[in-house]
Amino acid sequence: MIIAEQKPLDEILEIISGVEKLLVLGCRGCVAVCSAGGDKEVGILASALRLGRKKAGKPIEIDEATYVRQCDPEYLEPLKEDGKKYDAVLSMACGVGVNFIADRCPDVNVLPALNTLFYGANLSSGEWAEMCAGCGACILHLTGGLCPVARCAKSLSNGPCGGSVGGRCEINPDVPCIWHQICEKLTGRNQDQLLRKIVPIRDWRPSGHGGPRRRIREDLLP
Amino acid sequence: MISGSNLEQVLTSGQFTVTGELGPPQNGNFDVVREKARILKGHVDAVNITDCQTAIVRMSSLTAGLIALAEGVEPVMQMTCRDRNRIGMQSDILGASALGIKNLLCLTGDHQKFGNHPQAKGVFDMDSIQLLGMVKAMRDDKKFQCGDEIKSHEPRLLLGAAANPFADPFEYRPIRVAKKVEAGASFIQTQIIYNVEKFARFMEMVRDLGLHEKVYILAGVTPPKSVGMARYMKKFVPGLDVTDEVIERLKGAKDPKEEGINICVDIIKQVREIPGVAGVHVMAIGWEQAVPEIVSLAGLSPRPGAKTVEPRLRSSESIELIVSNAKKDAKAEIEKALEQAKAEAQVSRDLVVKEKERVTSEISGLKRQAREAKAIADQKEMEIERLTAELAKTEVGRGHVQAVRGPAEKRESSALSTRERSVLTSLRSGLEALSKSLGINEDQLEALRRFFEAEFLLHMDTAEQVTVPSEKAAVPTEEIEKPKAGARHKEVVNLVAKGNVLLHKNDAAGALDAFEKALAIEPKNQKAGEGLKKARDAYKIAALAEEVAALAVPEGVPPCPEELSSEEWQRKWVIRFVATGNVCLHKGDVDGALKAFKQALELEPDDEKAKAGLLKAESRETAPVLVPAEPEVPKKAEVLPTPEPKATPVTEEVKAEAKKEAPVPTAPTGTGNLSVAELPKETRSLSERAGSITEDQFTEACTGVIREVSLDEGEKALTVGGASTLPFHLFEGDMPHVPRIAYDVLDLEPEDWPDVLGKYYSDVFSDPVAWARKCINDYGAEAICLSLVSTDPNGMNRPSGEAAKVAQSVIEGVDVPVILWGCENAEKDTETLREVTNLVGNRKVCLGPLSDANYRSLGATAMAFQLPVVASTPIDVNLAKQLNILLENLGLSLDQILMDTSIGAVGYGMEYSYSVMERIRLAALTQQDEKLQVPFICNLGREVWKTKECRLPSDALLGDQERRGVLMEAVTASTLLLAGGELMVMMHPKAIALTEALIKGMM
Repeated sequence: MIIAEQKPLDEILEIISGVEKLLVLGCRGCVAVCSAGGDKEVGILASALRLGRKKAGKPIEIDEATYVRQCDPEYLEPLKEDGKKYDAVLSMACGVGVNFIADRCPDVNVLPALNTLFYGANLSSGEWAEMCAGCGACILHLTGGLCPVARCAKSLSNGPCGGSVGGRCEINPDVPCIWHQICEKLTGRNQDQLLRKIVPIRDWRPSGHGGPRRRIREDLLP
Repeated sequence: MISGSNLEQVLTSGQFTVTGELGPPQNGNFDVVREKARILKGHVDAVNITDCQTAIVRMSSLTAGLIALAEGVEPVMQMTCRDRNRIGMQSDILGASALGIKNLLCLTGDHQKFGNHPQAKGVFDMDSIQLLGMVKAMRDDKKFQCGDEIKSHEPRLLLGAAANPFADPFEYRPIRVAKKVEAGASFIQTQIIYNVEKFARFMEMVRDLGLHEKVYILAGVTPPKSVGMARYMKKFVPGLDVTDEVIERLKGAKDPKEEGINICVDIIKQVREIPGVAGVHVMAIGWEQAVPEIVSLAGLSPRPGAKTVEPRLRSSESIELIVSNAKKDAKAEIEKALEQAKAEAQVSRDLVVKEKERVTSEISGLKRQAREAKAIADQKEMEIERLTAELAKTEVGRGHVQAVRGPAEKRESSALSTRERSVLTSLRSGLEALSKSLGINEDQLEALRRFFEAEFLLHMDTAEQVTVPSEKAAVPTEEIEKPKAGARHKEVVNLVAKGNVLLHKNDAAGALDAFEKALAIEPKNQKAGEGLKKARDAYKIAALAEEVAALAVPEGVPPCPEELSSEEWQRKWVIRFVATGNVCLHKGDVDGALKAFKQALELEPDDEKAKAGLLKAESRETAPVLVPAEPEVPKKAEVLPTPEPKATPVTEEVKAEAKKEAPVPTAPTGTGNLSVAELPKETRSLSERAGSITEDQFTEACTGVIREVSLDEGEKALTVGGASTLPFHLFEGDMPHVPRIAYDVLDLEPEDWPDVLGKYYSDVFSDPVAWARKCINDYGAEAICLSLVSTDPNGMNRPSGEAAKVAQSVIEGVDVPVILWGCENAEKDTETLREVTNLVGNRKVCLGPLSDANYRSLGATAMAFQLPVVASTPIDVNLAKQLNILLENLGLSLDQILMDTSIGAVGYGMEYSYSVMERIRLAALTQQDEKLQVPFICNLGREVWKTKECRLPSDALLGDQERRGVLMEAVTASTLLLAGGELMVMMHPKAIALTEALIKGMM
């Protein structure tokens, strides 16, 4: 899912300076799952903001709400009107939510509370790692399910570079060399001929280098 | 041939190839690159030009490569995938090819994180293998990566790739090489090898894949410059395997650089042995100078000549042509110029000759003229001299006189010039100032002044006398008269001055003589006249003094001569003695003065002048004399006059008494030996002590004033308080009322008083009235503090009515102020004190102690009867203040309150009492704390005499018991006085005497 993290409180206070009536709007989607912007986080952030503003001598009126998702239009319907009551709506959804509110509720002054990071998985409690680059041309069947686009620092296609030592990436010993893992996996499965094959230069258009992407399912269009 | 490069030629020839490396600079310095290229030229077959190695921005590989190429060094251009996308890369490759670069090494590139721009976006449009493929396609398929055709002039580059035998997975590495070869690599350069053994294993796997036949593998070597560099490589360069052996060799080496080169050479020799290794790639970045030595030591010199290395930027033929043409033109021009110059030279030579002749003739003519001119000049000079001599006789003398006459006239007009006058004025003012500070009288000042003036003039005269001769030499006209007169006057002045000087020196005769002489010359001279008078007087006095001196110190008065009566004769002698005494005083002869005055007093004891003189003489003595004359301790019994001054007369007496009294303590009689002479003191005036610090710098006036509390009314009433300054700081403020001492009297016989105290009162113990009276009559008490200890519920618990009656009898039995001090049980005291006040009515006794438990009721009583009270608190500033406020709120005035902040004896907490009292006093006086502007009462006697130390007998270690106790009480009292205590309640008569002496001394 989309992994995001809350911006530092000082930054958020800076973002909402001048706002006197605020709605902190959470999302029960990805950000709730990765504990960045769900109901609980909404409550915590709202109190923190109230305190912070009180301390600065500029009290603020904050309402709290959490939607199921902020990336589907039906959930944003009520906000079109409700949002007008506030000087700003601080969205605790990922960047998608913020954008979508900006698109669908033009009268709402939406502000981001989170930094959206990556597509990732929950490794263990409190830890998430990037897994997918959204490149639009998945080759995971060729690499034992391990993505070199997202998980190799140089997004190499043809095996590990000369900096891979001890199974760690040259940029940081905490980062595993995914190509090392791919090699081991494929060799373990006797699929090492995949490793010898020269993978041609990638077309980066599906990855977004061709412009903002859209996906359409014809059969679902209205 | 793929590219036709030198590298390709050497590689394909089968010779062991050597490539070098050149790192471009981090700036645009063309010469640096050229220098490095020149160092490597001829020692290697081709030179790698690194491309922003370790992601640090440097001059690009393409451009630096071109500079190298222009030097005749073949570059191997490098390109990474980190910094460019396919479009940029292909573009640069076209450019490189166009300008003659023939070798390209295709690399992935170190991650941007390692460099100096870690925030950059790493492009990585492709990886190194894909890059190889792309360039190969450009070269061999003549196609761009997108598939478009390259219509002509496709890049023909020899492609190379890197391999790291020491990266992981180790087994995969040869496979990766294979991929690169397949993609298009013609040569491989490995990462730096230190671990030859591991490299050998790698080569084995490479050979197993048959790669050694498909690609030329060049082993990477580097001479480590130092241990530090080796360690850095081991730690920070990704994919490097630096062995410990290498580090050890460097550590132990005497010359690390030499060792580094040797290490490198050793490795080259070793890898050369490994089959499949086609050459070495020597990477001596930053140490290119080592390469020639390494190559030669490794036996790889000389390198085959670089035939095909030519830059495309300029064709050699055109350069040659230009050069030769330029040469020809230059030659022609030079010849032409030369001819011209020769011709000109000849012409100028002829001119020079002509000129020379002309000049010579001119010179001779000029010389002749000069000679003639000189002759005329000489003649003229002689003429001038003659004339000036004549002139001198007539005019020179007159001019000289003029010069001299001026100052003389001035002096005539006023005796002193302005300058001299100002000097004398300043002298005078200086002398006046001196006189003030030294206390010289008028006559002396006048004498001094005259003296200085005289000296000054004397000196002036000597200066003048130098000029006098010139006057004398003047031309004899009427002017002569004046100088002579001046000289005479000068003499008079001299004499007058001399006379004054001698006067001052007390040589009256000499002075007289001088003045007479002066008057002889100028009878009208005023100064001389005055001086003469003075000299005569001085002479008389001197004569008289001589007489007196001769007559002085007779053993008695000589017999009265017939003409005078005895009284007159005596009078005369008295006068004489007094005079002598004064003279001696004046001279500083104190002993003589004393003697003289005493003699005068013998004759006439009442002579005022003699007395005064004697006093004066005596006051000049340093040892303080205890004046026996006036009794200064009036209220005590008569004082035994002590013949010599003693430090502590009391101790003598106490000792004497103690010796007397040791066996049986008997009550001493009334006229006790309590005499305490004045405590010896030495006073110096404040101004003297303060030295140069002015008073306003250290005196601090207090803003507050302590209220005055009056005890009792009538003749014997006492008032305490009123201080407007810190205790005894009389230089800063006022203490209008002296601190007082009240005698502590108990209303029952004390059971546990030490004898050394009790003996003074033991005859009156059973009768408080008699006790109080004894204190007043025998010991001079000014006030009594009646301690109602009998009422203590924990003791005798006398009923309050009874105790009140006893108190009444005491109060009515004495006429001094009485302080009533309860047993300190709040309820009992309230009862007792109320009873007492009922009985004594309007006699203004002082009630105490009031505490926060009973202040209301007793306060009301005090208010009703207008009595002063003692406000008692445990040692605390705030509690004291609080009680004062509470009493004030009740309705008492602060003028009725005495503060008791609880007393500890010395060694038993006196410091606490002191500190609290001091703080209260400071707050009252300097911090405008009105509620604390109240006098202190210190009931210290009982505190001292209940201590263990007062009861311990006399012994060698602790000394005499009575003395000990007395001093403890006196020390406690004195300390608390210094804290601000105004009314002290004490017990021992001697301690009280000591304390009073101290108070008197400090006031």
